[in-house]
Amino acid sequence: MAGNASLYRWRAIKNAMALGLGSLATLFGLFWLVWILGITFLRGIDALKPALFTQMTPPPGADGGLANALFGSVLMSLMALAIGAPIGICAGTWLAEYARRGKLGETIRFLNDILLSAPSIVLGLFVYTLIVAQTRQFSAIAGAIALALLVIPVVVRTTDEMLRLVPSTMREAALSLGVPQWKMVLQILLRASRAGIVTGVLLALARISGETAPLLFTALNNQYWSADVTKPMASVPVVIFQFAMSPFESWHALAWAGAFVVTLFVLALSLISRFLLARSKVTHD
Amino acid sequence: MHATTAPPEPGDTDVDLRGVRDARHDRLFRYALMACALLVLAALLGAAASTAWGGRLAFETFGLRFLWSEAWDAVNGDFGALVPIYGTVVTALIAMTIAVPVSFGIALFLTEVAPNWMRTPIASAIELLAGIPSIIFGMWGLFVFAPFLAEHVEPWVNDHLGAIPGVGALFQGPPLGIGMLTAGIVLAIMIIPYISSVMREVFLTVPTRLKESAYALGSTTWEVVWDIVLPYTRSAVIGGVFLGLGRALGETMAVTFVLGNAHQLSASLLMPSNSIASVIANEFTEAYTDLHRSSLIALGFLLFVVTFVVLAVAKLMLLRLARREGA
Amino acid sequence: MTDSAAASIAPATAASAPAQASAPQTPKIAVRGLDFYYHGFHALKGISLDIPTRQVTAIIGPSGCGKSTLLRVLNRIYAIYPKLEATGEVLLDGENILDPRYSLNRLRSKVGMVFQKPVPFPMSIYDNIAYGIRHHEKLGRAAMDARVERALRQAALWDEVKDKLKQNALGLSGGQQQRLCIARAIALKPEVLLLDEPTSALDPIATGRIEQLIEELKRDYTIVIVTHNMQQAARCSDHTAFMYLGELVEFDRTETIFTKPARQQTEDYITGRFG
Repeated sequence: MAGNASLYRWRAIKNAMALGLGSLATLFGLFWLVWILGITFLRGIDALKPALFTQMTPPPGADGGLANALFGSVLMSLMALAIGAPIGICAGTWLAEYARRGKLGETIRFLNDILLSAPSIVLGLFVYTLIVAQTRQFSAIAGAIALALLVIPVVVRTTDEMLRLVPSTMREAALSLGVPQWKMVLQILLRASRAGIVTGVLLALARISGETAPLLFTALNNQYWSADVTKPMASVPVVIFQFAMSPFESWHALAWAGAFVVTLFVLALSLISRFLLARSKVTHD
Repeated sequence: MHATTAPPEPGDTDVDLRGVRDARHDRLFRYALMACALLVLAALLGAAASTAWGGRLAFETFGLRFLWSEAWDAVNGDFGALVPIYGTVVTALIAMTIAVPVSFGIALFLTEVAPNWMRTPIASAIELLAGIPSIIFGMWGLFVFAPFLAEHVEPWVNDHLGAIPGVGALFQGPPLGIGMLTAGIVLAIMIIPYISSVMREVFLTVPTRLKESAYALGSTTWEVVWDIVLPYTRSAVIGGVFLGLGRALGETMAVTFVLGNAHQLSASLLMPSNSIASVIANEFTEAYTDLHRSSLIALGFLLFVVTFVVLAVAKLMLLRLARREGA
Repeated sequence: MTDSAAASIAPATAASAPAQASAPQTPKIAVRGLDFYYHGFHALKGISLDIPTRQVTAIIGPSGCGKSTLLRVLNRIYAIYPKLEATGEVLLDGENILDPRYSLNRLRSKVGMVFQKPVPFPMSIYDNIAYGIRHHEKLGRAAMDARVERALRQAALWDEVKDKLKQNALGLSGGQQQRLCIARAIALKPEVLLLDEPTSALDPIATGRIEQLIEELKRDYTIVIVTHNMQQAARCSDHTAFMYLGELVEFDRTETIFTKPARQQTEDYITGRFG
């Protein structure tokens, strides 16, 4: 009897310890989130001023803003979406509608998931050898292509998943009207899964807005205002990197302001896409 | 009365022609979509091929010695991958040592401990961590976390852990703040959301009847998780861990900020070092000789191959559970 | 007219003796020696039956008997999935629709289909109806409006939706959505209407409206309905086919099937002894 009682007690203690440690681990995770976001917001708001959006990146010691970098980020992100989203949607549609099973489909789905987590700096090297080394010119378009390579796998995956949620009777109903398959896909299926696919594109945008590594040696950087996509172009993440690694206080402040803007943008995007996703799942049931 | 040989009625030729046209459009549409899907394949193969091609000068010049040479001398044109490989592996190992148990704890908390209303908000908050751009981790690491470590943690580590014979060598050296330990911790924070969300998801796939029958025998929550849930989901849990490892190996910006960009091989985790990704990020635009640039691209090739293998293992392990679920 | 035609259809039993229509009127659809393979599984075995024009033919049987499969052969919708194969003949007005040369466009404009669960397209009520028409005919605004209205009236939905044609069809109730799907199918002016358990997802009141609608629609269309609900088959069909394990066990006038079936199996199923 006594042996049993102590065994029970030991098991109960072990259980309590494990569950306690699990709760601690969660607190540990949340602790970093709060610390990092808190610091970013505090220092960012301190450094935030209207000049951030109107003035160019300054030389060391001078005042300035991030106008050219913000413009470059927006432009390159939009170009990356313009290139990557259609390709991703088409590829995802092919996987969901024409290659649910089968070797080629499975292989591409598999490789797409790897591309999703592949080191972005290697994709930067890829675009460097493919474009920059050939044209002998760093350019915004090369940066946009490198970012597009990050957009594609995200969009492929969400499109594939969202189209699979559309019930097969929707396809049968359209085809039984004599509508050809391509019209059925474009006008019915993609429309039915529109919310989910938009979410995928937003997630991709969130992912690339903070990306630095693939831009370092594709779009490079530019101290001045430039709208020429065949020339180097500044972007917020690359400027943050350059300024933060420098020894100048005024540059550090601008880097924090940039970090704040980027983080706010990315978090807002991920909240919006979460909301959209939750809503689209509700309407599917 | 074999119908199809009957001539089409006048009104129907139109319909038939349209059918032929539709079939042609369907085919074109399918090929166009397939071409886009093949682009995914091309991107991956292209990344491998172009980095192999770009690194060929380094591979030709140094041969296999490139892999274990400690040298990194831009002036004399002598390059080796050992230090960046070492830095990459050590920081990733530190990250895994911290992130795996913590992620397991989070998954345990979110699936078994937390009251229902708490689960979704906390899971979302943890996943939010994955959404923060890596450059933010880097800045925070450099300006906030590293000084904090240098001031409050590393002196203590030096005095206490550094004095232990044997393992002490890992914890000796000046408290700089930046170094492999810092980079490993920052990496751990970055990959916790990936690993914990995979673990949480697969824990939720364990059939309730399995867990209930264990509870019915009087098992504690911990015993159910350790003896039932974990074995049932083992392959996917390993998949999640490898996914995190793949991320940790390839992470660039955060590591670049806090690793110190020092080309040296040190036993102490407190010392600065270099990782494959951070060397490329730091030096690529400043590499003026072909050999230097080629060596950096060759490093990129190595990184790509290693992460590819790790991520492929991760994916295969995850598929194993998915298959069983589907069956 | 229906009675005399129906009465002349001899009681037929399964594959051995095809259900021949010796009636003066030729059948709308004549199935001849139809076999169907589903990933190698022999799902339909030598089915032969005649589906009379402008009447309601019900197909009943326990689940998995192949009744839905048979329906899905009649407009070749099965062909969108790989590894499904049908052999034999299905003659629509004397032409074999299984022949690959038979235009799918023509087939689908002649044979409409309504599914178990209502699946409105993600667009407005009006566009749901107009969508299929646009693919087959170029109509002016006024003509299109008229066609949409006619289809909705035929499906007994017009009065409920006439003021909200521009609203999303997903906002309709389940029963309304199913009538919308029927309207969508008949808007193409098909000759045959295939209904695959059209009321199984609906409540009794909505079911009653659909059954009433079927009664009205048979003036203009040849209707084939698959149902697991025997009362429904008895209520609204003129002929009933009973299938079991991929075979056509018995095909006759509904009255005969439900009062004095020729086969023991049929009687067992009708009286609820199995299935």
